Amino acid sequence: MIPDLPDVAGRSLSGTAFTIPPTQNARLCASVGITPADDGSAHPIYFYVATQVGMGETVAGLCVICRFDVKDGPLLGGCQVEFAEPLMVGAEYAVTGEIVSLTRKASKKLGVVDLLQYRLALSRDGRTVVSVMNSWILPREAKQ
Amino acid sequence: MSIRVGDALRPFRFGPVDPQNMVLWSEILRDPNPIHLDVEAVQAMGLGTRRINQGPINLAYLINGVLQSFPGGRIEQISNRFVGNVLEGDMIEVTGVVTAFELLVSGARVTCEMVLTVEGRGPAVKGTVRVLLST
Repeated sequence: MIPDLPDVAGRSLSGTAFTIPPTQNARLCASVGITPADDGSAHPIYFYVATQVGMGETVAGLCVICRFDVKDGPLLGGCQVEFAEPLMVGAEYAVTGEIVSLTRKASKKLGVVDLLQYRLALSRDGRTVVSVMNSWILPREAKQ
Repeated sequence: MSIRVGDALRPFRFGPVDPQNMVLWSEILRDPNPIHLDVEAVQAMGLGTRRINQGPINLAYLINGVLQSFPGGRIEQISNRFVGNVLEGDMIEVTGVVTAFELLVSGARVTCEMVLTVEGRGPAVKGTVRVLLST
C-alpha cells in the first residue's frame, strides 16, 4: 500500500553550523585521488558533505517526513549547485534550507516513484556562499 | 589562454575503487546505509555482490576531472545527474568537452560537459560544470 503524499513543501531543513576539518579534507581528497589545494580551499564536494551533515534532518529523518522507509533505498537523482566563493577549510558555515516539493509519477524503470526536491544553503558572515538543490527518487513499488 | 569550444579535457582515471573509502565516506557523511558497507546487505537487496559507492564520491571524481584540467580554477556551478552505480573494484574515467568559453578582463569562464564512465558498464554521472579561471 503506497501512502498518500504528505504536504511537505516549505518544511524547514535549517540546521546547525558545519566546519570543514583540515585533516578530514585531506583524507577525503586522498580517497578520490587528488591532492588538497594549497590555497586553503576545500574540495568542492564539501558543498554536499556540509549541507547533508549540517541540515536539520538526517537522510533517514528526511525520508520519514516523506512517509518513506530509508531501508527501501532512496536514490540520489542529481544536484544543482551555485558557488559564490570557494569553501574554505576551517571556516564555519551556517546550514539553512527547506523542502521544495514532493511529487509522484510513474517511472518506466522503477514503477511508482516520489520525487523529492529540497534546497540547502551554506552561509558565512551573513553571505550565502553555496546554494544547492538536491533531487531524490523514492521508489514506491517495483515495476512488474 | 588557448581554450576553445570543442576542446577535450584530459581524462581523469581512478581505480580500482576501494571499499575502505566507502567506510570513510560513511563516517564523513554520517550515512550508515549498509549498501556501502556490507556485501550481504547488498545481496539481500538484490543489488548484486559488490558494495556500492556513495553518489557524492562519484560526483567528486567528476569534479576532479575539471580541477585536473584547470589547476587553480574556481568551480562556480555544477548541474549533474546520477545515472548509474560505481561498485567496489570498478575502474572509472572522467571525460569532458568545453562547451562554452567567455574571456573576461581578468581571466575566463569555461563551461564543460562531463561524463563519468565505469569501465565495461557505461556512464554513472553526467553533468555540466562551469569554472572561473584567473590570470
